[in-house]
Amino acid sequence: MKKTKSQTTRTSKSKQRAHLIFRMNVLFLTIFLLFTALIFRLGYLQIVKGEDYTRILARTEEVPVNTSVPRGRIFDSQGRILVDNQAERAITYTKMQTTTGDEMWGIAEKLAALIEKDADAITKSDLQDYWLRKNKDNMYKYVDQAEQDAIEENEELDNVEKSREMNRLIRDSIPEQELDAFTEEELEKIAIYREMVSGYALSPQIIKGENVSAEEFARVSERLNELQGVNTTTDWRRVRNSNLAILGTTTLPKEGIPKSELNHYLARDYSRNDRVGRSYVEQYYEEVLQGQKSVVKNITDGKGRVIDTQPVYEGDPGKDLVLSIDTEVQARLEEIVTARLLEAKRNPGTRHLDRMFFTMMDPNTGEIIAMVGKILRRDPETSEFARDPETGGYIVDDYAFGTFTTAYEAGSTIKGGTVLTGYRENALSIGETKIDEPIYIANDDPKSSVFNRSGRIPVSDLTALERSSNVYMYKIAFTLAGETYRPRESVDFNFDAFDKLRNGYAQLGLGVPTGIDLPGEVAGYSDSSKDEAFNLLDLTIGQYDTYTPLQLTQYIATIANGGKRIQPHVVKEIRKASENGEEMGALEAEIQPKVLNIVENTQAEIEQVRRGMRRVYQGDQGTARGAFADFKYDGAGKTGTAETSAYDPVEKKLYDTVTLSHVGFAPYDNPQIAYSTMIPWASLESVYKTNSSTPLTRELVDAYFEIMEKRNSKQKEESLHPKIIPSISDDSIDEEEETE
Amino acid sequence: MNTNKQFTDRFDWVLGFLLLLFLIISIMAISSAQTTGQYGINFIPRQLFWYIVGMVIIAMVMFLEPEQYKKMAWIIYGIGLIPLIVLWILPDTISFVASRNGAQSWFHLPGIGSIQPAEFMKTFYILGAARMIVKHHENYPFKTLKSDFLLLAKIGGLFIVPFVLIMQQSDLGTGLVFIAITAALILVAGISWKIILPIVGTGAALGGGLIWMALNMQDFIVNTLGFSPYQLARIYSWLDPYSYASNEGLHLISSLNAIGSGEILGKGYGGREVYVPENHTDFIFAVIGEEYGFIGASLVIVLYFVLIYHLTKITLQLKDPFSTYVAAGIIAMITFHVFENIGMTIQLLPITGIPLPFISYGGSSLMGNMLALGLIFSMKFHHKTYMFGSQDDD
Repeated sequence: MKKTKSQTTRTSKSKQRAHLIFRMNVLFLTIFLLFTALIFRLGYLQIVKGEDYTRILARTEEVPVNTSVPRGRIFDSQGRILVDNQAERAITYTKMQTTTGDEMWGIAEKLAALIEKDADAITKSDLQDYWLRKNKDNMYKYVDQAEQDAIEENEELDNVEKSREMNRLIRDSIPEQELDAFTEEELEKIAIYREMVSGYALSPQIIKGENVSAEEFARVSERLNELQGVNTTTDWRRVRNSNLAILGTTTLPKEGIPKSELNHYLARDYSRNDRVGRSYVEQYYEEVLQGQKSVVKNITDGKGRVIDTQPVYEGDPGKDLVLSIDTEVQARLEEIVTARLLEAKRNPGTRHLDRMFFTMMDPNTGEIIAMVGKILRRDPETSEFARDPETGGYIVDDYAFGTFTTAYEAGSTIKGGTVLTGYRENALSIGETKIDEPIYIANDDPKSSVFNRSGRIPVSDLTALERSSNVYMYKIAFTLAGETYRPRESVDFNFDAFDKLRNGYAQLGLGVPTGIDLPGEVAGYSDSSKDEAFNLLDLTIGQYDTYTPLQLTQYIATIANGGKRIQPHVVKEIRKASENGEEMGALEAEIQPKVLNIVENTQAEIEQVRRGMRRVYQGDQGTARGAFADFKYDGAGKTGTAETSAYDPVEKKLYDTVTLSHVGFAPYDNPQIAYSTMIPWASLESVYKTNSSTPLTRELVDAYFEIMEKRNSKQKEESLHPKIIPSISDDSIDEEEETE
Repeated sequence: MNTNKQFTDRFDWVLGFLLLLFLIISIMAISSAQTTGQYGINFIPRQLFWYIVGMVIIAMVMFLEPEQYKKMAWIIYGIGLIPLIVLWILPDTISFVASRNGAQSWFHLPGIGSIQPAEFMKTFYILGAARMIVKHHENYPFKTLKSDFLLLAKIGGLFIVPFVLIMQQSDLGTGLVFIAITAALILVAGISWKIILPIVGTGAALGGGLIWMALNMQDFIVNTLGFSPYQLARIYSWLDPYSYASNEGLHLISSLNAIGSGEILGKGYGGREVYVPENHTDFIFAVIGEEYGFIGASLVIVLYFVLIYHLTKITLQLKDPFSTYVAAGIIAMITFHVFENIGMTIQLLPITGIPLPFISYGGSSLMGNMLALGLIFSMKFHHKTYMFGSQDDD
């Protein structure tokens, strides 16, 4: 019995042992497989993907850092400096992603000993931050234990909410007198720390940008190696030497890039605190004006601290812009327009008159020579005209951008477009004579030309332009609409004529964006309902659709140059930054004339309209003859008077007024300038007597030629690097003073 | 006690030599990891000190025979539980309990430093379990499915107490080590494949299923199964650290950048460029991979494999089942530590905080592992070759 048991035990033991060895081998095999997996994975990472990781490493070390390259400057066509940069000593701090609060406090402490920093900007929360840091180990000392427990035991709060509540509790518990008791040095340190944390990682933040004394600058510069992330550099402030509104404005570094466009700019390597153009030239040419930032490679140690930075790319200052606008001409014309606007306001019936526009461009290149817009300032609350507190007079603001951001009924100035459309649609032939007579449709009131209210006068196309025949235009509309005029009968118009006319106008630039190199341009208004015969007739004489003053200029330029619709532009050249500050930098690009389309009319048809327009100036019955008969530059043009409604913002009702306009070009052969004048709501219709836009235009054009002649007699030499000359305006508008 | 042979013959010189190699690797890696002075302390003398303490522990453990450990196994297991229970009961405001990286699993002893009792409990648990398995096989010489289930239940009972206490400290890494040890013990304890395979199958399916659900059925797993988003974050930051930038994700990315950019040959001693947090402890393999490249890093892995191979060889020579179970448990423990630690630095496994045995800086970890190796030394030292075979002691 005993032996059997011993035997069985022994057999079972040896069986067990064999079993155990097998199981141990299974365990070992498993371990072998696990270790093989490690080696394979390691091989994949280091051999197959190794180069990729090495590349990732190389890339993350190179960080583009904004070193505040100066933004491009803006000059007028004569080299007068309009927008400049003013250099300023600045002390900056650049935070890395790995920078800790402790490190920043350390730097703030060192900086506080070196520079003066006023403590005005400090908020209560900054003081609390500092108190918490000072009392790190004992921050609960003023906290009520019961309140603390209440937060900790509140089941409704998650951990994040609890810590937020606790933070609030601790901050509220700090007695005021402790916050008020900080010393001068401590406050300075807090003020510096405050600036440091307000920046973004990897964007230099200006700690002190104004009134940095030479001593401060030197003291900090000497100790840069102890001051991780601090740099002494030059900051640039934007200064405008002109009140020309189309120059636009930039954002301030402390405002940062507007939120709505943040992604657009960040995708283009901008920092959040970069200056960016906010309006007009500054905005439209942002990419040119903004320079190339320098790229710095940060050498980091194993802890992620930056121990050295090496420039990889030096950066490039922004490119300078040379405008096509001549500020001497511009200023003279602005002066005239302002004076005439204020003068006109003294006449009866001008309560709605508040603005005047004049634009002049080179019809061959599209360069804008002058862009004048003046508007009377209104009180933003009452909408009444604002008054100068000293003189009691109106206040005139620059409204140059109104020439392409606002649109008005232009009146007869567009009749050249109607005639050209008539030719093109075979509704009219060159030299065709039509009878000017009051037009009666069914039982409605008659529509007639101003010069002929009741008679029957045969007029040719030339005379129709010279005398501004409305009826001639109406009759073109009849033909376009497939109808023949029969007095007092009702009409059956084919309203496709709306599209034909508008297409014709658009080819000349009316009712479509001109393509000017400034943001915010509008196309004007055109009603989509096309079912009213009278509206079609009004459209032909410029009393239905609205056009911008700049569109009128493009329209007359297109006629002047023989049918090329040219894109207007205010920037003439892009130049490299000046190397010596006395001469402009090398020419980078010249803005070339861009033909947007060619009018689908024959040269003979265009010439006929030009001749008609010359008769407006020189013909015996020309509507502009009074002002232009003795014009020595052989010009041509067209006047316009539109019956329009003006909305009175004070009384909140509509009044019948007239809007006056004038377009023209000179000289007749080989035109050098094309221009338009627009005086919206010039006077009440009931008191209207003469078209004052025409004498105003004559005065403006004369002023332009006067300056040109004076300049030609001096004979300026052409140079690759024109001289930079100071602005003629005494204005100097610092970016800080800008208010939007 | 066997005194026939000289000490020099009975001492395991191979194991000793392997330990010396690990010491050298450890010192080199730690000294490079701290070159930037980011920790403010020099860890080299400390690690050397812990190695010396570890050797003393080995010597002390070698003094006793495996048979005596077998007798004391229950007591040792019980003693090991005490500090875990203390940590569980005591509030964290008591000064000698230190909370580190969110895990409250340390005693802070003035003058000595921090001690993590769980590191020692692993070995104590192995002893207890081995003792229990031996006893079971004595009581049930004929194994049936029923007796196997009983054994499984006993192992389970022994396992669950320290496991729950350790999970209480939210120390997932150590908890997983206990699971790995238990799995190895179940395997070598001879429990029928009919039981093992379904368990392994279910476990694998469950684990795989949870990961799949974490990726594809997030609402279900959070709202219905009650997992916290924090636990899911661990999975996401493991599988796709680049789009899931948690702390762990960034930790993994820096580790991958470090190891990957080491390429084949590495950047040489002190040539590392990537800052990996915790690179002297849990992420020390990132330093090795970056500085010594594929060649150096796989040599370290091979060295571990040689250690495991050596331990397995000793185990197979031992005829005493208790020692075999203990050795198997220790093998599993070291293997899992190595696999999980290296695996997490190379994105093979999610990140859990466990050190690389013998190389990572850390007194508790090193002493715990030395204690375990001490048992192996003891087995080899007191190994009685002539007594095996037919001369079983009835």
